Amino acid sequence: MNTKFQSFALSALFGAGLLVGCSDDPNPIPPGEVGTSRYIIASTPQSSDGVADYLLTAESLTEGTISTLGNGTEQDGTYRYYVTAGNKFFSMLYGQGNPGAVTTYELDGTGSLVKLSNFQSETVHAFAAVGDDIAMVRVARSGEPIGSWFRIDTEQMQIVADGQWDLAAIANNGERAHFSWIHQVGDKLFAPYFSIKGCCGDSFGTAYPDSAWVAVFSYPEMELEKVIKDNRTSFIGRYFVPGMDVDEKGDVYAFSSSVATSNGAITSTLPSAYVKIKKGEYEFDQSYYFNVEEKADGNYITSHVYVGNGKFIATMNDVKGAYDTGKRFGVVDVYNKTFTWITGTPDPAVVQSVTINNYSPKDGVHAYIGITTDQGSWVYEFDASTAQATQGLKVDGGVITAISKLEAPTE
Amino acid sequence: MQYTKILATAFLCCLFFQTLLAQQTQISGQVTDPDGAALPGVLVRISGSTSGVVSDAEGNFRIPVAKPDGTVLEFSFLGYGMRQVALSSASFSEKIKVTLETEASELEEVTVLGKSELAEIREKAFNVSVVDARKLHHTNLDLGHALDRVSGVRVRESGGVGSRMNLSLNGFSGKQIKFFIDGIPMDDFGSSFQLNNIPINLAERIEVYKGVVPVGLGADALGGAVNIVTKNTAKNYADISYSYGSFNTHRTVVNTAYVAPSGFTVQLNAFQNYSDNSYWVDVDVADINTGKYYPNQRVRRFHDTYHNETVIAQFGFQNKPFADRLLIGLTAGKNYSEVQTGARLVTVFGAWHRKGNILMPTLKYQKSGLLNDRLTVALNANYNFGTEQNIDTLNRRYNWFQQYKEYDMPGGERSRSMYKYSNNNAVVSANARLKTAKNQFLTLSYVFNHFNREGSDELYPENNTYEQPRQTQKQITGLGYELNFRDKGSFSAFGKYYAQSNFLARAYNPTGNYGDVAYRNQAETTHDFGYGVTGAWFVTGNLQVKASFEKAYRLPEPEELFGDMINLAGNLDLKPESSYNYNLGMSLWKQLKKNHRMDFSANGFYRDARDFIRARLNNNQAMTIMDNLYNVTNAGVEGEVRYSFMDRFSTGFNMTWQNLRNNTEYEPGQSIPSLVYRDRIPNIPYFFGNGDVQFNFPGLIKEGQDLSLGYNVLYVHDFYLYWPSLGSDKFDVPSQVSQDINVTYTVGKKAKWQFTAECRNIFDEKLYDNFSLQKPGRAFYGKIRFFIY
Repeated sequence: MNTKFQSFALSALFGAGLLVGCSDDPNPIPPGEVGTSRYIIASTPQSSDGVADYLLTAESLTEGTISTLGNGTEQDGTYRYYVTAGNKFFSMLYGQGNPGAVTTYELDGTGSLVKLSNFQSETVHAFAAVGDDIAMVRVARSGEPIGSWFRIDTEQMQIVADGQWDLAAIANNGERAHFSWIHQVGDKLFAPYFSIKGCCGDSFGTAYPDSAWVAVFSYPEMELEKVIKDNRTSFIGRYFVPGMDVDEKGDVYAFSSSVATSNGAITSTLPSAYVKIKKGEYEFDQSYYFNVEEKADGNYITSHVYVGNGKFIATMNDVKGAYDTGKRFGVVDVYNKTFTWITGTPDPAVVQSVTINNYSPKDGVHAYIGITTDQGSWVYEFDASTAQATQGLKVDGGVITAISKLEAPTE
Repeated sequence: MQYTKILATAFLCCLFFQTLLAQQTQISGQVTDPDGAALPGVLVRISGSTSGVVSDAEGNFRIPVAKPDGTVLEFSFLGYGMRQVALSSASFSEKIKVTLETEASELEEVTVLGKSELAEIREKAFNVSVVDARKLHHTNLDLGHALDRVSGVRVRESGGVGSRMNLSLNGFSGKQIKFFIDGIPMDDFGSSFQLNNIPINLAERIEVYKGVVPVGLGADALGGAVNIVTKNTAKNYADISYSYGSFNTHRTVVNTAYVAPSGFTVQLNAFQNYSDNSYWVDVDVADINTGKYYPNQRVRRFHDTYHNETVIAQFGFQNKPFADRLLIGLTAGKNYSEVQTGARLVTVFGAWHRKGNILMPTLKYQKSGLLNDRLTVALNANYNFGTEQNIDTLNRRYNWFQQYKEYDMPGGERSRSMYKYSNNNAVVSANARLKTAKNQFLTLSYVFNHFNREGSDELYPENNTYEQPRQTQKQITGLGYELNFRDKGSFSAFGKYYAQSNFLARAYNPTGNYGDVAYRNQAETTHDFGYGVTGAWFVTGNLQVKASFEKAYRLPEPEELFGDMINLAGNLDLKPESSYNYNLGMSLWKQLKKNHRMDFSANGFYRDARDFIRARLNNNQAMTIMDNLYNVTNAGVEGEVRYSFMDRFSTGFNMTWQNLRNNTEYEPGQSIPSLVYRDRIPNIPYFFGNGDVQFNFPGLIKEGQDLSLGYNVLYVHDFYLYWPSLGSDKFDVPSQVSQDINVTYTVGKKAKWQFTAECRNIFDEKLYDNFSLQKPGRAFYGKIRFFIY
């Protein structure tokens, strides 16, 4: 690998925030240099056949080049999702309703990925690190309205509990709840959802395009405690896109793209906006509302990365589409309700894709987002304080699907 | 060279004179050697005339004569003395028996044997392989496994008996290869009548056309075509077999025909397959509750039962003034298959299954000798009323220890479904062959294919109102010109016109009110024009050189356009795939010494394919969708060598090496070359071969009791699952060697009993297929066959 080491003290100090918990892993791996850490970058080839993800390691995200050519750990199967918890890196297969093997890696003292084990898990479409657990859910988009959940203990590396929910009962409006993502909020699990028909040749259509809902579950029992609703925005997050983050004070901020559909046409009428849930409360804060669409020249948010101190780097798009990813970026300050366009990113005309699963050290300033243009893929360093983006690490061989950070376990 | 003349005459006879026969008095008989063994390829002609016929594989011949008295028949065959037989009026009623004596002298000249129908096809100007299915009738093979022994062909399957099969031919695979049965397209015959369940005994021979497909087959085949030719004789026969073997596998085949002197014909073919497919696999078994793996467990497959029962009945007339053949028939059958795994072994099911049936009336008509013996016409038609159903109604999760967890809510193992559909597929094919001048022919062919899917799910009746019309029509018209230089070679040029119309209605909401739905009709028609040339030339009497070229198209299949209602979403915007296919080949026959013969053939091929139709995930990654994704080239060679000593011993091997490369330099939206441009296409075997040895001991114990021993080996070189150049820690499919052995004992003169014992994969090697699915280990089969011809 061609990366040069560049000290990046903050990231090492603050670790991966929510995603990285403490660990006293019992596995006898060679004792590493204390504080060894690497960025793990997942890359998917852009070719259309024989596609598998490759996991690459890098010491820096701000310079150098890495390539999948003859390099990287091949992941079995297309469409994988990655989560870091307890100093372990979990590579999960999205297998369309079928179970699949989850491969677990750890960083050794030399900064290489070492495979720990495989265990079997269900296909899920949303997951979150909750303490030393990973909670995972899967919801049915059609057929029977079943939501399944699984709780994985990251030390034992196995499923310790599972169960099912009735999604129609959660929605309680004749449609079904489709979770956009799940999030640990205090000692609860929040599952923002959108209401979908789940049938009738229009699975993702809805008659309720202008409401946001969050299902609140107890943890670890996973029992539904409450559904909270807000009619000031459309649903929170998007298909496969998390839309909610918890700040340092424990308050929740969540965005809505406002892209609900019926028969494929956008039917949401409300603007793309942020709403808030105060720490310890299970209702939307009716005193807080931030209409981003108004401040962003009519653009809406397609995804965001929380960088800390109430600031998000948001990916913005102009024409509404249920699955579109934006190609422009802005700094959203949810405390001061300001929006600033970011400069330094590639011309949207040449942007092919923007990574959704990105990394931030949560220092209040930086986020690292993958961007693929017609010239290739790079990690861009975003600075929320200056609203500037800088081209960093080049990743040859495909689209960046995830950027995360892993620390070698300390003995 | 005298032999050239014989060859020429033989060629000529086979091609043109057989059509004359029906109209004159027929003399029939059989030619044998001094030991009583049938002699195929013997030239039989009326003394003093240039017309004649060649005896068939059983030594039988039929020759028209004006008046028998005074007519003398001449029988000649290389290596045997010429014999003349004078006919009398009695010759009408009885079959003539002619025995040729072996010639004492050693042959010095290079020789070409008289041609069987098989050899004739091999010598066509196409790159074609022919499997003599009769030689495999004693085995337990289905058509798919028989094809696996052809050079250039790899058959990949997902498991045991009845599992999904995918044939790859010179690097093309799946729907890019078209299948025919007696020249009739097998499009959408449903799951009850497929390569994986049709026994080899149904076929007389299998023709595999690589890259360039004869215009008479009228196919939109990108990479080639397979034509299964069934037995078609004007004689009564019965051929019944039953086999039993490992994994509780039972197979029965009944083939029989009755032909009355009036020409009234009844044909009945019936077959049955049953297997538990309970073979061992080595897997990591997940704990049903925790997902923790118990590594490397050896477990039996437990939910993989497959069975099918199919009957093909036909009746009609043969050799009548109004038709050489007019048959009306019905193919009826059903199949049941349990689904053990998903695309990978980690995904295991315990209750999900599928059912299908076929109910297909058929019409076959053939007439030659029209327009003063210059025109031959054929018409075939069929309509499949069959249905397919997917049944997944238990909300369970199984593991390989057969444990399961059941959840309270209604659900499925994969996706709760009882969806049942019918494709209402109609196929009409017609072709005509006209002799325009000496040695010149025109062929016109036309195939019409209509598809209209209708389906419903009793579990979700509310969805039925949202069912959308799914219809497609395909028409392929071909015109070919052929010039035949008799013994020296032939040349042909052809054009094919492809047209496809798709009809689909997209749902939309006319009012914006909840649940309101209306349909907007859409029709789309595409036209394409393909063409090709072929040439074959005998450089010497025993060395033939062939070259062929086609610009081939394949139109999207209904399933690709409309989805399969389970995993595959439809894509109405699919364009046809196209490819420039080139072949260059040579064949050499060499008679080493008396009774020793070598056959050698080698072919090189090149494919330049565009807009390959491949699967990708759709927008919300819920289903796969077919799309025109990329370009590939494939350059390769395949070769075959055979040696035989009389009919006592034969051995041969073939090998294929192909270099399938990604030819998409720029991926969509990219202005820098792709990292995998010119990389080898992953997950497709690129080096493989077969070898076989056969010993025959005729009259081992006493006359009429024959013993034969057969051995077959299959080799597939290892290959990568994903792009070879990417990654350092990679998945691959290891090299595989599979060896089969069989022994057959045949007893009887006219009515014969045949007993076969067969062992497949004798060394219990681990065999893999697509995405490392494991195939059966060592298996034993016994087969009893009774036949009378």
